[in-house]
Parts: sequence; C-alpha cells; structure tokens
Amino acid sequence: MQQRRELDQVYTNRKLLNGQLDTPKWWLPTVSILGVVVLIGVVVIAIMVNKGLGVTGLARPVYWGLFITTFVFWVGISHAGIMISAILRLTQAEWRRPVTRAAELLTVFSLLTALVFPLIHAGRPWRIAYWIMPYDVSRGIYPNIRSPLIMDPVAISTYLTGSTLFLYIALLPDLGNLRDRTTGWKNAMYTVLSLGWRGNPRQWKMQTVGGILLSALMLPIFVSVHSIVSWDFAVASAVEGWHSTIFAPYFVIGAVHSGVSAVVTMMALMRWLWKWDDFIRPEHFDALARLLIVVATGWLAFTFLELTFALYGQDAPEIALREMQMFQWPWNALFIIFFLTAYAIPVPMWLFKRVRTNIALMFWTSILVNIGMWLERFLIIVPGLARRTPFVYTWEAYRPSPVEWTIFIWSFAWVTFLMLLFSKFFPLVPLFEQKESQVFTKDVMIGRAKVPAIVREAD
Amino acid sequence: MTTAEFGTHNWGMVVDVDKCIGCNACVIACQAENNIPINTQDRVERARSISWIRVERYWEGDFPDAKARFIPIMCQHCENAPCEPVCPVYATYHNSEGMNVQVYNRCVGTRYCANGCPYIVRFFNYWEPVWPESLRNHLNPDVTVRSRGIMEKCSFCVHRIRRESRNARSAGVEIADGAVQTACSSACPTSALNFGNFNDPESKVSKMKEDKRHYTLLDQFGTDPNVIYLAKIDADKKVGAGEAATHG
Amino acid sequence: MASQAVAHEAEHHAPPPQVAADVISTELVATTTGASGRFKAWVWILGILSIAGIAALVIKFINQGDDSTKWGYVAALVSFLLSVAGGAPMVAMAPVMAKANWVRPITRIASLFSFASVVTLIMLIPLVAILPPLVTEGARRRTIWYAAPDYSPHFWTTLALVMLLGTGIMLFYSAALPDFASMRDHSTGWRQRLGKRLARGWVGTDVQWRTLRMRIGMFGTFYFLILVFANFLFTTDFGQSMVPGWRDAILPMYHTVSGFQAGVAAVVIALYFSRKYMKLEKYIHLDAFWSLGRLLFALTLLWIYFFYSSFIVFWYGRSENDIATLNHQIKGPMIWAFFGAMILLWFVPWWILIWNKVRRGTTAMVMGSFVILLGLMLDRIRMFVPAWSVPGDQIHEKWLKEIPATYWPDIFDIVIMAGGISLVAFIVMMMTRVIPVLSVWQVQEFNLLSKPIKYIRGHATLVAKPD
Repeated sequence: MQQRRELDQVYTNRKLLNGQLDTPKWWLPTVSILGVVVLIGVVVIAIMVNKGLGVTGLARPVYWGLFITTFVFWVGISHAGIMISAILRLTQAEWRRPVTRAAELLTVFSLLTALVFPLIHAGRPWRIAYWIMPYDVSRGIYPNIRSPLIMDPVAISTYLTGSTLFLYIALLPDLGNLRDRTTGWKNAMYTVLSLGWRGNPRQWKMQTVGGILLSALMLPIFVSVHSIVSWDFAVASAVEGWHSTIFAPYFVIGAVHSGVSAVVTMMALMRWLWKWDDFIRPEHFDALARLLIVVATGWLAFTFLELTFALYGQDAPEIALREMQMFQWPWNALFIIFFLTAYAIPVPMWLFKRVRTNIALMFWTSILVNIGMWLERFLIIVPGLARRTPFVYTWEAYRPSPVEWTIFIWSFAWVTFLMLLFSKFFPLVPLFEQKESQVFTKDVMIGRAKVPAIVREAD
Repeated sequence: MTTAEFGTHNWGMVVDVDKCIGCNACVIACQAENNIPINTQDRVERARSISWIRVERYWEGDFPDAKARFIPIMCQHCENAPCEPVCPVYATYHNSEGMNVQVYNRCVGTRYCANGCPYIVRFFNYWEPVWPESLRNHLNPDVTVRSRGIMEKCSFCVHRIRRESRNARSAGVEIADGAVQTACSSACPTSALNFGNFNDPESKVSKMKEDKRHYTLLDQFGTDPNVIYLAKIDADKKVGAGEAATHG
Repeated sequence: MASQAVAHEAEHHAPPPQVAADVISTELVATTTGASGRFKAWVWILGILSIAGIAALVIKFINQGDDSTKWGYVAALVSFLLSVAGGAPMVAMAPVMAKANWVRPITRIASLFSFASVVTLIMLIPLVAILPPLVTEGARRRTIWYAAPDYSPHFWTTLALVMLLGTGIMLFYSAALPDFASMRDHSTGWRQRLGKRLARGWVGTDVQWRTLRMRIGMFGTFYFLILVFANFLFTTDFGQSMVPGWRDAILPMYHTVSGFQAGVAAVVIALYFSRKYMKLEKYIHLDAFWSLGRLLFALTLLWIYFFYSSFIVFWYGRSENDIATLNHQIKGPMIWAFFGAMILLWFVPWWILIWNKVRRGTTAMVMGSFVILLGLMLDRIRMFVPAWSVPGDQIHEKWLKEIPATYWPDIFDIVIMAGGISLVAFIVMMMTRVIPVLSVWQVQEFNLLSKPIKYIRGHATLVAKPD
C-alpha cells in the first residue's frame, strides 16, 4: 500500500543530504575500522601474490575453492541493481524510488570486488593484463574467446560500465543540488561532476531518456552476465554436478534472490544509520519481500529441476556425488544450513504481512538468505571437484586456509567501506526521485474511499 | 586417435596393463627427466605433489585372495581434449603431431584446464620449486624449469621428439620407429609402456593397438585419447581387470 | 511519469474518452449475440476441420496404434497445444497479480483459452495408450519416476493435464462471476438463464468482491504451479525419456517459457480479431498491444536465451552423450525444423517487435504473432518427432548411437494438426457466444480507477492503486 506523506522540499533536502552536509557521528569510527580491515586484506593479498597460491588450501583436484565461490557470490549480489532500478523503472513501480541508488551502488561496488577474485586466484596475476588486451599480436595470438574465462571479464566489464553510467546519469540532478549548497573545494568538485546541470526541461528530457535507454540496454546484459559466469562450470563435462544445461537461468534467478536480499539488508541499515524513517518505509520492505517470495520460489523450482535431472541420468558418479553432498559429513551439515537459510526459514516467514513490514526481521532474514546463497555456490563448486570419479585415488578434501578466509572477509569490508565513502559525498537516496514521487502521487476519492493514485503517461 | 592432418607423425602410447608390475620406475624417470619439483611429505599430504605419470593401485578382494591392480596414467593427449578450449590464453593447444602441448610462457595459472581434465593429469605449481644445491646439477637442460603459478603435465617428452626430429632431418632420414622413447617408456622394465607413431602402420605401437584387449579410458567423455590401454589378462576371468578403470 | 510524457511529447494524443458503466455492460453483453456472417462461416469451417482432425486421430490409432515411432507429430501437436492453450491464461493471470491495469481488457479472452486445454487432453489420449511403459524388454529406461510403478508417466501426466484444465476453468469461472451476473441482467433467452445459474446470486457486496479477489489469487497461483508441473511432466515423460542419453535439465523451463511466448502470441491474435471484427476499439486500446508487444519481445529474447543455454553446454561438453543429443535435435533430419524455428521464433519476431511503431499498432503485431506460432510448431516438431522416432530396441542404450530416420508427416498427421489447432480456435470462438469477450467488470473497474487528466501542458492518466 502506498501511503501518502506530505514531505516538502525543504525537509527532503535537509534529511536526505545529511550525509553530505553534516557527517553522522558514527561515520568516522566505522570507516576507520573498515579501513583497517581493508588494509589487512590488501596486505594478505600482497603476501599471497608474493609467495604463491600455496598459502591457500587449494590442492588437487579441488583447483577452485573459496575465491571462485566468493567471485560468483559477488557477481550474484550485483544483480540487485538492474533488477530494482532498471526493471522496476521500466514497469513504473512507484515503490522503487528510495531504493534505486543504493541498489545501483551495490551493483557497481560488488562488481568491482568480484573482479578482484579472478585476478588474485590465478597463478601469475601480473600476467593477466594480457588476458583481455590482445598481446603479442605479432605472433597472431589473441585471447581465446571460446573460453568462458574470457567471456566473463567481457560481460562483467560491460555490466560495470553500463551500471556506472546509469548511476552517474541518475546522480546528475542531485549533484546539481549539492553544488548549490556547498562552498569551497566541495563546490568545485560538485560543479565539475554535475556537468552544468540546470534542471531545465531539455536536460530533464535527456536525463530521462538516457536512463530509460540504459535500463533497456542493460537488461540483456543483466541476464547474460551471470549466465556466462555459470557457464564457467556448466561446460565442463568432466566434473560431476557441473555439466547441466539449467545452470544459466538457475544462477541468474539465484543472483536476483541474493541481490534483492542484499538490497533489503542495505535499506534497513540506511534507515537506521541515517534516520530516514520518512523515506524508507515499511511498505517498501513489504513490496520487496513480496518480490522476493516470487523470486525465491522460482529459484526453488530451478534447484529442484537441477537435482532431478542430475539424478535422472542414473549415472553412478553423479548419484554418488549427490549422496555425498546431502548425506556425508561435512557436506550434509552445509547442505542443511544452506537450504534452511536460503529458503526454508525466510520465505515462509515472509508470507506474513507482519513480518514483511517489520524491518528488523526483514534485515535478519535477508542476511540469512545471503549466507544460504553463498553456501549454495560453495556446494555447487567444491564437492564436484573434490570427488572426481572414477579415480578414487585422487579424491581429496578441501580445507580453506586462513589466507582465503581473510580475503573473503576483506571483500565484505571493502564493499561496505566503498559504500560509506560514497555516502559522504553523494546522497544514497535519490532526491529527485523522492520529490518526483511527491508530485506524481495524489489521493483521490473513489466513492467514499480515499485511494492513493499515480500520474501516468497517457498513451 | 586419428591420423594427424598435417605433419607425418601422430605420437601416441600403448600401455599394456597386463605387464605393469607397479614398480613406479616410470614415475621416477619422468621426475628426473622433466625437472619435476621434489614431492616432499608435506606436499604429498596436501595433495599438491606433481607426478606427470602416476601408477594407481587398487585393491580387489580380501585376504587371502586380495589382488592389487596397477594402471599407469599420464596425459592422454586427447584429440578432443576438454582442457584446450577453456584456456583463456591458449597456453594449451593441440599440435600437428597429435600431441596436446602446454606452453609455459603463456600460462597465467587459472587452472580451468585442470578442472576440465577427467583424467586428473594436470598439475599446478603452488610454490616456487626449490632444489637443494646438490641436486641443481641434475636438472635437464632440455626442459624448462617451471616457476610457480604455472600448469604442467606430461608432454610425451617433447624435447626428445624435437631432438630426434632435428637429428633425423639433418641426416635426411625419417625418424626410425623406436628412436624416440619417452623417459617412462625407456625406464619401464617390463615394456608395459610403449611410445611411437600411430601414423606409421609398421610401428610397434600401431601393431600393438590392434590387439583385441585394447580400450581407452573414460570413453563416455568422447575425448578420443592418444593413449591406448591393453587390458589385463586374469587367468580366472574372461574380462580384463583393466576395465575397472573405465566407466561401467 | 510526467517526465516520460515530456520525453514522448511528439507522439502524444489525448487519452480515449471514458465510457459510462451501464453502456459498458450493455454493449459488451451485446457482443455475445450479434454474430456476423463471416463469424458464422469461420465457425463452420473450423468445426469441420476439427471433426476431420478427430476422425483422423481415431483412424490413425486404429491403423498405427501399435507403432510408437509414427506418433511424433501428434506428440508435437500436444506440446504445441499445451503451450498455447496452457500459456495463454497466464497472460490473464500474471499481470493481474502484478496489479497492472493494461491487462484488464485482455483477461477474459486469455482465460477463454483454458477451455481449449480440453483439446490437449483429447490429443493426449492415444499418446498415453501408445507410450511404452517404463520397463520394456526387461530394462527400465531413464525416467524421473525412479522407483515408481511402470505406468507412472501415463498416470501423472494425464492427471497434470486434467488438473490444468480444471484449474483453468475454475480461474475463468472465479473471474467471470460478475459477468455472468451482467448476462443475467442484460441478455435474454438461454444466455440469461445460464447467466442466472452461474452467477449464483452475485450482487457485488464487499464480501463477494473480497472472495472473488481471493479466489483469483489462489487459482491463479495454483494454475501457474500446475502449468509448470504439466510442462515438466510432458516434456520429460513424453520427450526426454524416450531418447537414451538426452539429459537436458533446462528443457522443462525452455518448454514453459516458449509456452508463455506462444500464449501471448495467441492472445494477441485473438485480441486483434475480436477488436477488429466486433468493433471493440473503444475498449481495447492500443496500449494493450503496446504492453503485450513488450512482453512478447522479452519472451522472444528469453527463447533464444534458454535455447542457447542448452546448446552451449552440449556443444562444449563434446562427450558422446552431448554430441548425440546435438545431432539428434538440431542436425541431421531436424536441421530444417531447427533453422525454421530459430528464424520464426526469434529472428523475425525480434526484428518486427523491436520497433516502437510496430508495438503501438496492431497489424504488424498480429503478423508477428502468427510467425511465432508457426515457429513454435516447427520447434515442437524438432523436439518431439525425433524423440518418438527412436525405436524400442535403442531406448536402453547409454546414448543414441544412431540418429533415427525421421519421417515426413503423412496425411493423417497433417489433418490431425490442422484439426487440433482449429478446435482450439473453434472453442474460443464459441465461448465468446456464452460470455462477453471482454470482462465487463474489469473494464468498468478500469474506468473507475483511471481518469484522464491534464498535466501541465500535456495529457496524463491518473491511476488509482488501491491495495
């Protein structure tokens, strides 16, 4: 239900810009602590690049472990941005308004973080510059575009470029606003960044058309990015549990599940930290939770299909792998935790409106979902590698080392650190969208009922 | 295996499992010939040991009828190799002599090829290899010493093939059958490992592969390997025990 | 949003005028009676073709009822009908769940297709009789019914399709209650009596409306679940399971999504004809075609996405299994069906639907929809004809060693296919004589909730969103 609140422009400006115009008290200590964690992570990465991948827990035949799992996880989280800002913008859903910028931001920063992992997991990262840039052209050797590992950076960097442009175009009116309210070096920075934004009809038209075009263009990319990442695994017929045709849409819908849950986490944090109770309201969480129920149930259907067809082939190694994954220690514990956290606990809870509008519960359930989705990727990637039939001789367990765990934690700290830094200079809730919603929503009387209404374009 | 389209050779191996006694001489020879890093106890325990050829040993039955089955497994140099299309930098490809080659200089160490290989014959250098001072003199100058972060695997002793090719070319003759021996095949005491040119119908390996005991490993993957196995003959069974290594 | 209005200034026109509520009821109810000569002629033609189709089905069963390799085209037809008749009601249901307003004039005609699911059942009957049981020649073939009784596929697939028909009809009926009341109030003769019976005392109290919405939500969700389930069962039991080594996890979803594409295309066609020949321009506005066009475009892109997902995995894998599957489905005898399907289901619709002008109009949209339906038929032929052509002695191999020789359709197959499709159209057309082709209460509600207004210098619509 879209409640209507009278929020005038002065109030909106003051509240939504409080991150930029004043700094909240908690900001500096939090950023400092995160900065220290980020620094530790960077040092650990440097040590690993210096000494070699022997510091990790990787071994034959588990050649890909925590790094690739976390890579897929962050690419998954990045799907929130397009889902929420592009798709909801194209379908003109009003409830997206407070969320769009934070979602797009999460996309950009999680993609940046995701890109780090393929770099550091390679044996010789310093040679990766030659990966996508054609090198040694005189010998006629180009990167192998048949390899999903080449299609990956192409897709991800396209997505990153598009999302950054999208973010920037949506930022322009707010940058103009900030330019008009600041002095000194900040003013200079915003003046340059706002590209001469004046807010006249011509500029608004260009901004809107640009946003719509980018939204539509990003949609195929949104689908293809995680599909390409899934094909890293699906094309390998040698690994049990990997060679399934359903991986592409399965991963995409899992990414939407994981990403939208991450947006819920972020919105709850934003509301609490910056005290934006007037702008991020329970009805937004209600709408997001309903979207999540649909997406999560779709994800469950795909999981069921993947499992059914894995067993359908009646292929002894595949069946043995699934038995190991679900019934043998330690995989059985991970499997149960995965299923409970990714679906069985959150989704039935979300069926109740009282839970959907309770922000604390939404926060905790969305975190549960992301724990489950990380475990899902882990359970897809590692067990198949650990148990390479029929050469029982080479079966091995995988024990991630402290180096891998540190880098894993670093990735979370890095994304949060970037978001908080961003929030110091740019508003996390788009002001112009908020004001637009005030102008475009009205209450009308239908019969004796007062009903909220939206102004729509007439066709 | 197919007849190679260009060039005159299609190098391959025939492994007679019936003759293998599991002595591991091939493993030692390969390690010495190809500058393979020393597999310390720590590395073996952490499953990071590198042995381009390994002898897998499986037990069958219980005491007192227990039997040990040995099968040496090295890179199969598949015509339809699953490791080749996935390398982002073309560090592994199929050359015109029927071999799957690994170009150490190009490898960035993504390990995707190792994931694709169903035979698990590709190895990654997790650490910079270190030999004690005294052992550095035994490094084979014909073979690259790999640094860390690089994939490596059996190369059918390609440096020996190149040497014989050069010698044969400068003498103006073809490479004689048996002139090129891989380290493992020359070390094997029972001639279980035989290396040669499948394109030459008179070569020893071409004749051996016609044996009715022949099979290839994991044929359901469609890899079309260049290594042919000859099944073990069991006195009390009709079916060769070597089939334990293939997919049912 | 007004910002969008600013952006589309050049293409602006005033919104269509509102029609009074009682005029809506009388006019729409009147559509059930004034059938033109052309309508009657088409009903006769389609009726005759349908009867011929069923007769051909019976004759084929008598002659070839023991040879399962000759029934591929009938299986393809059942898949086609499941997609079209099963997918079309989704167009009614899904946007309603998303509270979209543009779908209001479309819901009735889309849910009328659920009656056409009976044709799917009719065509399924001989297939169920001919489908080999799970254990043949002493061996059990690959199936999702791992340890279940031998006739599980037969039973469960039939049950799923029966439930689909039933749920579709219940969904239709739940949404049609107020319209049966309109029939009771505004028509005469047997229609009035039928309306009175089926309206079951509908007067439009609060409780009745709440119950109505709850039923629509419930049956709609249930319909969607059953549709996915039916697609899953039919493609697996009557398709994948017949071919050794065909292990394609995405096939059920591929079938479902192309079903949605076909359903939307069928609805566009039905909408076009009812708008044009029943003169319903003031109720079915161009924005219905605009929105359906976007949906159809998205589904067309989804088709290639789902198809490519399976293709790349098989092509890359290059195991014996993968190569056999590719040769079976998209090379060899089926290469023409494959290319035809790809061009007609993806390439041509993509280039038609990508243009704004096309999506705002009707003619090109309906032509694109016909192209899509033709492409879908070719795609189903590509999937099911080779599957059913696998002879019984090969069904237990690990993978297909020899691509079966497929056959061209014989005269019975062609008449059956034409008859099946005609029967669907026949049923939909006949149902429009029983109940108005546009949902009266949805159109009335649309008028209540949306009002054209002037916004600054342009036109806009104010859309109320009660929850």
